[in-house]
Amino acid sequence: MKRLGIVALLTAVLAAPVVRAQQPRPWHQLSPDEQRRAWENYRRYQQLPEHKQRSLEERYQRFQAMPPQDRDRLRQNYETYRGFDPGQRQEFGQKYRRWKSGQH
Amino acid sequence: MMRCRRATRWMVTALDGELPARRRRALDGHVARCPACRHEMATTAAVLQGVGGLATSSEVPGRLEQATFRRVRLLAAAEAERAATRAWWMRLRLPALGFATAVVATVAVGLMRGSGDRPLAPRPGDGGRRVVAQAPTKDKPPLVASRERGGPQATATVPAEPPPELAAAPELFMDLPLLRNMEKLEHFETIRTTTLDDGEEQSNG
Repeated sequence: MKRLGIVALLTAVLAAPVVRAQQPRPWHQLSPDEQRRAWENYRRYQQLPEHKQRSLEERYQRFQAMPPQDRDRLRQNYETYRGFDPGQRQEFGQKYRRWKSGQH
Repeated sequence: MMRCRRATRWMVTALDGELPARRRRALDGHVARCPACRHEMATTAAVLQGVGGLATSSEVPGRLEQATFRRVRLLAAAEAERAATRAWWMRLRLPALGFATAVVATVAVGLMRGSGDRPLAPRPGDGGRRVVAQAPTKDKPPLVASRERGGPQATATVPAEPPPELAAAPELFMDLPLLRNMEKLEHFETIRTTTLDDGEEQSNG
């Protein structure tokens, strides 16, 4: 019985970060810097056409449903992408269009 | 012949590099001819570039964080102390302040009436007190209006209470630059290893 209790406790402790990572954080749990970034993006989002806003919402739902490791991979890729210089970004854009045209 | 409505619909997709080549050519042709759409496209590009340039996270050194919190605590303590000392003399000063305001307002109205440019046309039975009471209300609407103009859309500061849309999904907006590029990021390695030579679509990933 005692062993079962320990196993249950360990499971709860190990599972907690995973569950927490999948839960979207409410506004008041964001740091001031995160709130500022969200606010600035929100104002930009408001200027986008409606269909683009819908598309972003769909992507957000999909992103939230991803396993944590996939989300981490995307974040890591984004950081790499952000680090591209203009030339690298242009080349990546060309490759993306080439790759995209091959998808259809 | 493309119309402005369709052009506008395609702009964001085009700027994301996701518009098929034929449509892109049609859009470029329209934008070259239409100044309004050219302006719209430039504005949209600027917005999207602004979104894309934002960081999704930033590191704050631990020492800076601790120093900031310490400073905030000190400022909060100093402010609380100031508020406590202010309370007793404010009680004494408020009636005097009110009296002084009334005197200044009376003098100001008297001067306005005496100037003769725009007399306030006193009606029979109107006393000075009534005019004094009207003067501040005349100034009120512009003050309220300017506060409305300076609402959340016009300020860069974060509001204490976010709009419902932002409060409902703050992380959507935090991750907006990432979400905009989601397809590229999902197939990042494949796209990176796609070759551009000889017109063939190849990928090593």
